[in-house]
Amino acid sequence: MTAATSPRSVLWLARQEGLISWRDLAYLMTAGGRWRMRSVVIWIVIVIVIMHAIAWGMVGRYAGMTLDAPPRQLVALTGSIGLGYFLMLSQSLEQVTRLFYGRGDLDLLKSSPVSLHKVLGLRVLSVAATTTAMTLFIAAPFIDVLVYRGGLHWLSGYGVAAASGLATTGVALALTAALFDLMGAKRTRLAAQVVAALIGSAFIIAIQVVAITSIGSMSQATFFQSDFAIAHAPPASSWAWIPARAILGDAVALVLVLAIGAALLIAPMLIFAARLGEYALAAATADGAPGAKDNAGPTAIFLGRFRKAGAGSLLRRKEWVLLLRDPWLASQSLMQLLYLIPPAIFLWRSYGNAQGALVVLAPVLTMAAGQLGGGLAWLAVSGEDAPDLIATAPVSERRVILAKIAAVLMAILAVFTPFLIALAGRSLTIAAVVLIGITLAAASSTLIQVWFRSQAKRRYFRRRQTSSRIATFAEAFSSVAWAGATAVAASPSWYAIGPAVIAVLVLFGTWMIRPK
Amino acid sequence: MARAFCRTRVKRKTMLARDMTANGAGALTQNDALAVRGLRKVYQRPAVDGLDLTVRAGEFYALLGPNGAGKTTTLRMVSGLLRPDAGSIAIFGIDALKQPTAAKQITAWVSDEPMIYDKLTPLEYLAFVAGLWSIAPDAGERTARELLRWLELTPNADERCEGFSKGMRQKVALAGALVHDPRLIILDEPLTGLDAHAARLVKDVLLERVRQGCTVIMTTHILEVAERMAERIGVISQGKLIAEGTLDELRGKAGSKVGDTSLEDVFLTLVGSTQRRHDDRVE
Repeated sequence: MTAATSPRSVLWLARQEGLISWRDLAYLMTAGGRWRMRSVVIWIVIVIVIMHAIAWGMVGRYAGMTLDAPPRQLVALTGSIGLGYFLMLSQSLEQVTRLFYGRGDLDLLKSSPVSLHKVLGLRVLSVAATTTAMTLFIAAPFIDVLVYRGGLHWLSGYGVAAASGLATTGVALALTAALFDLMGAKRTRLAAQVVAALIGSAFIIAIQVVAITSIGSMSQATFFQSDFAIAHAPPASSWAWIPARAILGDAVALVLVLAIGAALLIAPMLIFAARLGEYALAAATADGAPGAKDNAGPTAIFLGRFRKAGAGSLLRRKEWVLLLRDPWLASQSLMQLLYLIPPAIFLWRSYGNAQGALVVLAPVLTMAAGQLGGGLAWLAVSGEDAPDLIATAPVSERRVILAKIAAVLMAILAVFTPFLIALAGRSLTIAAVVLIGITLAAASSTLIQVWFRSQAKRRYFRRRQTSSRIATFAEAFSSVAWAGATAVAASPSWYAIGPAVIAVLVLFGTWMIRPK
Repeated sequence: MARAFCRTRVKRKTMLARDMTANGAGALTQNDALAVRGLRKVYQRPAVDGLDLTVRAGEFYALLGPNGAGKTTTLRMVSGLLRPDAGSIAIFGIDALKQPTAAKQITAWVSDEPMIYDKLTPLEYLAFVAGLWSIAPDAGERTARELLRWLELTPNADERCEGFSKGMRQKVALAGALVHDPRLIILDEPLTGLDAHAARLVKDVLLERVRQGCTVIMTTHILEVAERMAERIGVISQGKLIAEGTLDELRGKAGSKVGDTSLEDVFLTLVGSTQRRHDDRVE
């Protein structure tokens, strides 16, 4: 053993961190199952091929772009970079927050004679490496297609992606530190998670809202190509185009982007390095703080005190109370509803127009209901906190499941009722079709979660997709199929039967392969 | 206060017994709280292997065994948490496999890892449990408040459980098991991780319940607890009941003199000899 790799040295710690990160990655890929590495590799190859095919269709036509590209194309490219950057920042913020609050081995490290800020500093670097690797993995198919069809100058896209990975980790660290200082350790975790979710969706929503209010379309692609966007874009000499110019092969711009990315990571690390250990200790203290008082809170009316109620009613109300009292879970679930803001604005703007405009909303609302239903169903069914209590209660399993399904569907209907009322004011037929669509989409996602239920902690809500990829894909496919059926039915056309049959077949196929 | 609480409960128990006898239900006249026959559960290897076990009504029964002996699997099957591969389970004469809801109505389960709702307060949790077991609201609330007082949780009754220590969580789980007045309480390592005071409280509550006529089955690795509390002790090894009886009877089976040997020595002798026999068979 050399001095550099002797216990407690930076390299030794880095090796340990690398091993843990690799195991985490392997777990994410195999969902904890005993997969052979060969199977994992085959899956990765399949995913890469599919991603290249998707990239070919999406960006192939932009391959001819050069540094002399017209403003219209620069706007589109910069918009895509911005979208990717905000999504990465959202991911980085979650990962950096997890560094301080994850218990795992952090207690062991805190109690060891190893310098805590050294360990946490290494972990921040590990987040930067993971984020960068993930960004490169996702960006690679698009860059490869552009290089193949447009020329080697597109290779600089890898540099921009790497710089973005470094920059987002640095900004995430600065944001987390600011939250610790401003809000204290107890509120930082929730605040960071909410901010992360907001950042992840804010860019898309903001663009859609601007698109609706300016050009009357919900499509981002149409907006970036619009005269409105070009007219309001910065001048050609603006710094705003530097990332786009770097991707297009401008060496100076690329060096600048890489330097800014590195600086944005290194500066917060230097500034906050000495305080990383303090944040971790504060986070651990916040975890043991006493719970909130709930003798008269607004949610108390849902569960109430001792009163006569059937088991079904009790179980439904319990689910709602647990969700409403957990701001993180509520925010994670309801965050999907942020995507309903653009349709809501669209609905408001199109209220006096022809019914054709309203038809656009039908698939959006149905898709959102399917996704929200899947999340809520996972929480109610797989995320049951006291499974032993429910299993040993004198209530049949069928009754328990029915109560949980009802809890999910009633919550979905409560969320979508304002939209349905607004739609009904304009067209009763479209409102009825959307009501049927969101009910079927939410019920399908709920059933899939019931068939593929597997006990898990509620805090793993964000990782629920890893426990069953079949359930995740089935949920997505059924939601898409129901959304299609609702859109066609709202037009109106009997051809809606086609996607509806596909949705039913997806459900039937999923039921056939459910774990028994 | 605790005595008043106990008197109320003994009175209720007596009334219940009288009612059931008058109704001809006859369940309380049976001597067996639990009768397990030929119970079997196989994972990669048999976890429980044709187990026969009888626990009499109103007794405190301790189930002991080394790690992986099949204690928890057995009790989880009895509680309805696991489906056995073979065998029968009767709780006060009710076939727990054919009439699970009826069997669960009179049974309570407490595990070593208290699973309660972090976002509920103890009082709300007990209201929820009482509702699941269809306990009349007035009686449920009275019992819940008495249990919280007895378990020294009254000051925390309206606090969410998320900040509770392991001991407090275990006490809430125990209160949940008792709030519906079960006739059979099954506990899997309920004292694990509790401090001396909390452990004493839990033990006192269980002993009081037995005095009132309730049956308690408990697994524990703390042999001193079994020695002091249990009327009869069962020793399970490799999925089979290898010895059963009072402490003196077990001493006899282990070849020790009565009053001469601790339960720890008896346990190690019994389990050791079974293990040796098993190893010999394997060889």
